Formats: sequence, structure tokens, C-alpha cells
Amino acid sequence: MAAETDPTFDGGSELRRRKLLGQVFEGVLVASTLVGVLALVALFVLIGNDALGPAEADASWFLLYFVTLVAPTSVYTLLVRRDEVASSINGLSFATVFGSLIGSAVVYVVVDSVRPHDVAIYLVVGSLFPALVLAYNRITGGSHYTGPALPVSILFGLVSARILYPFIIPVISIVADWILFVVVVTGPVAAGLGLFVTSRWSRRYGAVTAVAVLGATLATAGVAITQGIDPALSVVLVSVVAGPVAVVSLDTFKRRETGRYGLLGPWLLIGGIVAGAWLERQLGIEGLETWLTPTLLLNSWSSFRPEQAGIYPQLVGSVLVVGTMAVLSFPVGVGAAIYLEEYAPSTGWRGRLATALDVNISNLAGVPSVVYGLLGLALFQNFFGVAPWLPRALGLKPSLVIAAAATLGLLILPIVIVSSQEALRSVPDELRQGSYGLGASRWQTIRNVVLPEAVPGILTGMILALGRAIGETAPLVIIGVATTTYSAPEGVFGSAAALPLQIFASAANSIPEYRTGVVAAASVILLATMLIMNSTAILIRNRYENN
Amino acid sequence: MSDREMTTLQRDGVAVTKERLYRLLLAGCAALTLAVTSGIIIALLGGTVSFFSEVSIVAYLTGTEWSPVINGKFGVLPLLSGTLVITVVSAVVALPIGLSIAVYLSEYATPKVRSVLKPALEILAAIPTVVYGYFALVYVTPFLDDVLPLDFGTFNALSAGVAVGLVIIPMVSSISEDAISSVPDSLRNAAYGLGSTKFDVSTKVVVPAATSGIVSSYVLALSRAIGETMIVVIAAGLSPKMPFFPDVLKNLTNSVQTITSGIVQVAGAENASGVLLNAMFALGMTLFVLTLTMNILAEAVRRRYREEYS
Repeated sequence: MAAETDPTFDGGSELRRRKLLGQVFEGVLVASTLVGVLALVALFVLIGNDALGPAEADASWFLLYFVTLVAPTSVYTLLVRRDEVASSINGLSFATVFGSLIGSAVVYVVVDSVRPHDVAIYLVVGSLFPALVLAYNRITGGSHYTGPALPVSILFGLVSARILYPFIIPVISIVADWILFVVVVTGPVAAGLGLFVTSRWSRRYGAVTAVAVLGATLATAGVAITQGIDPALSVVLVSVVAGPVAVVSLDTFKRRETGRYGLLGPWLLIGGIVAGAWLERQLGIEGLETWLTPTLLLNSWSSFRPEQAGIYPQLVGSVLVVGTMAVLSFPVGVGAAIYLEEYAPSTGWRGRLATALDVNISNLAGVPSVVYGLLGLALFQNFFGVAPWLPRALGLKPSLVIAAAATLGLLILPIVIVSSQEALRSVPDELRQGSYGLGASRWQTIRNVVLPEAVPGILTGMILALGRAIGETAPLVIIGVATTTYSAPEGVFGSAAALPLQIFASAANSIPEYRTGVVAAASVILLATMLIMNSTAILIRNRYENN
Repeated sequence: MSDREMTTLQRDGVAVTKERLYRLLLAGCAALTLAVTSGIIIALLGGTVSFFSEVSIVAYLTGTEWSPVINGKFGVLPLLSGTLVITVVSAVVALPIGLSIAVYLSEYATPKVRSVLKPALEILAAIPTVVYGYFALVYVTPFLDDVLPLDFGTFNALSAGVAVGLVIIPMVSSISEDAISSVPDSLRNAAYGLGSTKFDVSTKVVVPAATSGIVSSYVLALSRAIGETMIVVIAAGLSPKMPFFPDVLKNLTNSVQTITSGIVQVAGAENASGVLLNAMFALGMTLFVLTLTMNILAEAVRRRYREEYS
């Protein structure tokens, strides 16, 4: 042995032992990570398999959809990914087409369940006063009073709509539903698209767009009437889907020189599915034995006939509850975050109070969801036993949509506040200083500088909070929302319903077709909603983090 | 500067009032969170006080039978035992796996692998727990029954506990990973300089340095497991039991009831009122105190034993 080697260090075996140890350790780490990922995959595959039944399909079915759907979209994806412009156009196109499709479904379902007449009264009467305020603001060229006056006028409008309601309803109830859909859906959409085109091109084009959307909607309604179909759905589809998609596509097409083929993405997907379905029927191919059918989406629940069971009431209920919750909770959450980040001082009693609020919020985030259910129950049942007459006087019961929405709203409040705080904190201070230097007040700085910068972050938090609320079950069970519902809630003050409650009620059903069929399909819908929301949030976050 | 010029620099009265108004409104939003906490405490306290005016607190805390609807027995011990079983099972699943994932992600994984794994693991926490409950009941229980040489009931603690474990894995892994990646690189480099392998650095330097964060993530995750409701209600059944002692495995194969599923069961009872309704709030208070204590403990551990590197 050479003199310079340390005699106590037995290089060979010791090194080998340590190397092996390191490899085993890394193997254990990778295995644990895989356990987590595999559990996730198993959950999706097992539930998806029972819901969709791919095992029953013929081999030719897979071939058919490979040719019509998988092959074209894969080739297209490879092409688009290499071209940055096309890929951004593709993203926009997907967002417009599928966003408006989902939007139209939500709008139709909500207006239909709340009754078009009621929506029309509240929307038309309710927007009169805000419109006056905006007009005054326009004429005077911006006044101190219009900012605070706007929310007050909205409230005033809604209250006057409530008061005028009994007088208007006999007059308006003779009007056909579809005309009211034109008023409450097509009207705002046409106006919005007109303004969008005006801001991008010219006032003339804007006017043409608005008229075109209105004309196309009325024409489709006319065709539907002559065909004997209820025109309401076609009115919503044409104005909410066709209008925006046409405007965005034309706008992109005229603006962009290259990468225009990025617009094709969603149509390739939809076309592939439609062509596949058509050929499947024409050729008589044995398809999937799926539980995820139109019957499931559009029917009411049936407790004894699984093949007839549908979750329409539960879907409408979930949309209404979560939508109402968003309206109630998001403004308060963002407001609280603005106060804590932008106003609250760090010293003095106010500073200590702000610290206490921060600690309180993080503790609230750790309170189990059942406890929020108990809070909702105490609040809407007898108002903590202090004023049992109060909920009754307001027409509130714990099982109503509004009570469920408020309960979930309190539950997600900490999530919204914390994520909004993070978004506000990431706005660089230089922007604030710059705004102050130009003479802007604190509120002007927040509204014109800080909030616009923080919007992507705040939006991400909101979407994640919505995703959490959609799957939340325990608080709704505690406040006594019916777990099985046969009819959709009639508006915000109707009895609540929610999709997860039906999964809860039927998970242990003794009829196997429910256990591994209907409930699996309902779970797939819930999981898909959650995945879409989470990936949208991640996309927004990545997009704005990179910029 | 003359008086006149001074006044032009001042905002006029309306503008100042407006600023104050907005500030007040926003402060009101923030104050609402205090109202929520007070609301929770008042709601729970009200029901609990009424409950203990009818049932003695000793009977509640030491009673070994929970049968509120049929016999009017309000002993909380069986529910605590069920909660303990579920929490222990979920801890066995989630704590080692969560920590391993955290070490892997921060010390071993390439940025590309990380960018795929992190969102994928976040999905584990985002899946609605009602779906986990359904998954545990319909898929995990038959699987365990096939694999393990035990006789599982339709509703059992093991499958529910495993599912709860899956839910809390991301909580352990993300908080631990934050703690691990905030260990400064100088410590790692010093250890490498002394001839350590990656294994030595991870187990003897990085993880010990991040202990406070890891312990805090464990406590938070367990608090979450205690408060988990739907999985337990669906997959663990609703039969309260005292622990089986010499025959420990029976605790896993049998149906149990936890504090949370006790609350849900009472809420689902036909026209629950009076002492039954109040029992729900007493259980809620028990749960609230338990989880709040653990959350505060987690925060205290994080603060007290945090190594300062700067």
C-alpha cells in the first residue's frame, strides 16, 4: 500500500456500501412518490372505467375514433406546438369555444331554473339606476360621487325591482319565455360584443356586430318556431356561443398574419367526436357501455331505475349554490385582502389588530368543514338562539340555496383572502410609488394600478376556491340540504341541491348499477369539473408568471 | 407659498370622505373574518352549554357508549377511539410517503420531473372527499379484502384511513418541501465538502435542519385527518366502538364512528331537536378544540424550533 493513502480508509467496500445505500434510499423515495401518483391514477382509472365501460367496446370502435379523433388532433398538436403564434391563437380559440359552450349551458340552466320572467324583471329594472349613474358620469366627465353611487344604485335597483315585481309580473307573464331569453341573454351579449368590436376596430363595425348577433338570434328562433322546437335553447346557443366565437375568430383572423390555423383546434376536436359518433351509428359498431349519457345529464333522479336516473337537478343546484356563493364571498374576501395588504399599518394598535386578523384567518383555514356546517345551521336556524325570529322574518331556512351558498362562502373565505393577499403582495412597490408620485390617492392607486396587476393571482385563487366549494359535502349535510333531490332549485330562495350530496346518498346503494354505474358517472363529472378548474388556474398562473 | 396654493394641493372634502369610506368598507370586510370566528365559537358554545345542562360533562367524557338516537347515551370515548384509529392509519400512510416525496422533489428530482409531479400531487388534495369516500368503499375495500388475509366488513376503518391518508399526503409533502428547500445551500455544500454522499446530506443535514417545518406539517396534516368527514361517513360506517384491545387488527377491519361522522349522523336523524341537536354542537366543540389546539401547536413548533439562516 502506498504511503500517501490513508490506511484506515478501506476505499473499495466502504465506497460500494455507501453507493448502494444511496441507491436504495433514492429508490425508496421514488417508490413513495410513485405510490402517491399510482393511487391517483388508480382512482381515475377505476372510476372512469366503471363510468365509461371501454371494455365492452369493439376493437373497431377504437380504430374508428383513432382515425377521426386521435390521429388528426395529434398531428395538429405537433404542428401547433412548434409555432408560438399559432399556439397562442389555439389557446384563445379553445378558451372561446369551450368557455362559451360551458357559459351557455350555465346561463340557460340558471335562467331556466330561476324563471326567465324573474330574471328579466330584476335585470331590466335593476340596471336602470346604474345606467343612469353611468350616463351622469359620462356627461359630467367623471365625478366624485359616481364611484360610491354605483353599488348603491345597484342595490336600489334590486330593491325597487322587488317592490315593483307584483305589478310587472302580470304584464310580463304573457310574453313568451324565448323573448325574455333574448332580452336577458342576447341583449347584454350583443351590447358587450358591440363594445368589444368598437374598441378594437370602429364604431360602425361595433354596431354591425351587435345587430348581426341580434338578427342571427331572432332568425334562429324563427326557424326553431317553424320547426316546432322550443326556441329558448337555440337563442342562448346562438348568442352565447356563436356570437363570441364568430367575433373572436374574425378578429384574430384579420389581425394575425401567420398561425391562423391555430383557430382550427377546437373544431378538429368537436368534428372528430361528431364524425366518430355518426360513423359509429352508420356502421353499427359496438361502442362504449357508458353511464355518462345525455339521460344522466338531463333527467331527474330516479331511485329505482338506474338507467333512467339523471342528475340534472343536482347539477343545476351545484351551479346555483356555487355561483351565489361566489357573488357573496369573493368581494368580501378580496376586500379583506386589500385592507390587510394595502391599508393596515404594521405598527400601533391597528397594526396589532391586523396581525391578529392574519392569525385568525390562518386558523379559520384549519377549521374542519363540518364546523362551518354547524355555524351555518346556528346562523340560519335560529340565529344562535339569540333571535330565532330573524331568519324566519327574512324568509331564510338552512336548507335554501342562499343559506348553503353563505355557509360555503364562509368556508372558502380564508382561501380567497390568503390567495388574494399573495397576489397583492407580489405587486412591486415601485408601481405604487409611481402612482402616488403622480398624485393618485390610495384608493385610486389600488383601483388603477395594484388591482389590475394582481388580477391573475386573485383569479387563480378564486378558481381554486370554486373547485373546493363544488366538491364540499359535509357542511351541506349538516345544514340539512336534502341529499336526494328530484327537482331543480327554483332560484336563490329555493331548496338547495348539489351533486356531491347525491354521490354521498347513493355510494352505498344496494343496487350495483347505482354503485358502480350512475355514481361512478356522477363522480367522473365532479372530477372533470375539478380538473378543468385546476388546470385553468395553473394555466393562468403560468401564463402571467412568465410575462 | 401662499394660502391659495396650499389649498389647491389639498384634496377637496368629498375626495377625502370617499377615501375614508372605502377604507372603512374594506376594514369591514377584514373584520368579518373576526365575526366568523366569533360566530363559530358562539354557535358551538351555545349548543354545548345547553347540552351539558342535560348531560353531565363527566358522563360525556368518560362514557363508553355513544347511542344518542336510540338509548340517549352520550359517551364520547367510542367516537374518540374511532377518530384515533382513522388518524393513526392515515398517519402511517401519509407521514412517511409525504416526507419521502418532499425529500425527493427538493433534493433529487430534476426541474422537469418536479414541474410534472407537483401539480399532479396537488390534485390528490383537490379531489372532493366525497369521491374519496366512494372510492374507498367501492374500490379500496374489495381490493384490501383480496390482498390481505383479514376479514373486512363492508364498512371498515382501514380503507377509510388509507383514503384519508391519500388526502393529506400533499399537505405533508408541500409544507415539508417548503421547509426543506429553505435550508440554505451552504449547509449542503459544506457537507459535500466533508466527503458526504447525497444520502448523507439528505438524511443527516437537510432533514434535521428542516425538522421544525416537517413536524409542523405532520401536526397540521393530522389535524386535517381528524376533521375529515365524508370519507369516514361513507367508508367507515356509523357504528361507534370502543377499541378492541388484545386483538388490535379488529380495529382496522371493523366499522368505526368518528367525531365527525357522529355529527353527520345526528344531523341526518329525523327531526333532531333538543338534547340530540345540542349533542351535535358538543361534538363540534370537541372537534374544534382538538383541531385548533393542533393547528396552534403546529405554528408554535414551526416558530419555536425554526433555525434562522440569514
